[in-house]
Amino acid sequence: MSTRIGRLVFAALVLGAASWAVADASNGRDLQATIVLNGHPCDQVVDSKRNADSDYTAACKDGNRYRVFVDPKGRVVVQKL
Amino acid sequence: MQPSVPAAPAPTAKPSSTHAAATATPKKATSPPVASPPVASPPKAQPAPATPAAPKPPSLDLNSLEQRLKDTRAIGVFTKLSLKNQVDDLLSEFRAFHKGGAKTPQSELRQKYDLLIIKVLSLLQNGDPPLASAIASSREAIWGILMDPQKFANI
Repeated sequence: MSTRIGRLVFAALVLGAASWAVADASNGRDLQATIVLNGHPCDQVVDSKRNADSDYTAACKDGNRYRVFVDPKGRVVVQKL
Repeated sequence: MQPSVPAAPAPTAKPSSTHAAATATPKKATSPPVASPPVASPPKAQPAPATPAAPKPPSLDLNSLEQRLKDTRAIGVFTKLSLKNQVDDLLSEFRAFHKGGAKTPQSELRQKYDLLIIKVLSLLQNGDPPLASAIASSREAIWGILMDPQKFANI
């Protein structure tokens, strides 16, 4: 019985991690598209950190780093770091 | 630059038929056998196929396209918001253009419009091909709305 519960918990953890990874990857693509759309170079986002709501720091594969956030007027701003 | 879109398809059909007639006549000139009597009948039959080609222009449902863009999963939230910013910027330039105090000439507006459409299409082409093709086919119709002051006011 305890082993069955252990398996269920393990499966839940794996599924949770997988869905987090998918969300992270799609977030990376979203950030990359946003950076490029705003005229900055970024081939692929390899790391991103959430600073606050709608505020991220993204590191691109080519070494460029950006802060991507939504300003109070509702505009997406991409700042090169 | 290219204001008359609906008129374009009809004339294109006629030149192709005239080209066919032009290419046909030299062949007949080179070949001595009797070919002159049947030449009179084909020109009467040609206008008929040109009319079915005319009703091709796609109907534009701007609200539907907008909703599909909002709903699509091919573009992330940040990207959608960024695109909306750029669309709003371009619309304000069109507004200034129609008011008469335009800093941006029509040719430049067209360039900016084309660039924005290309951005949208490149974002959608892999993740939502049907929406990409719908936007691509509506490209000239949307431009027509943007350039018409009355239609633009109703957006």
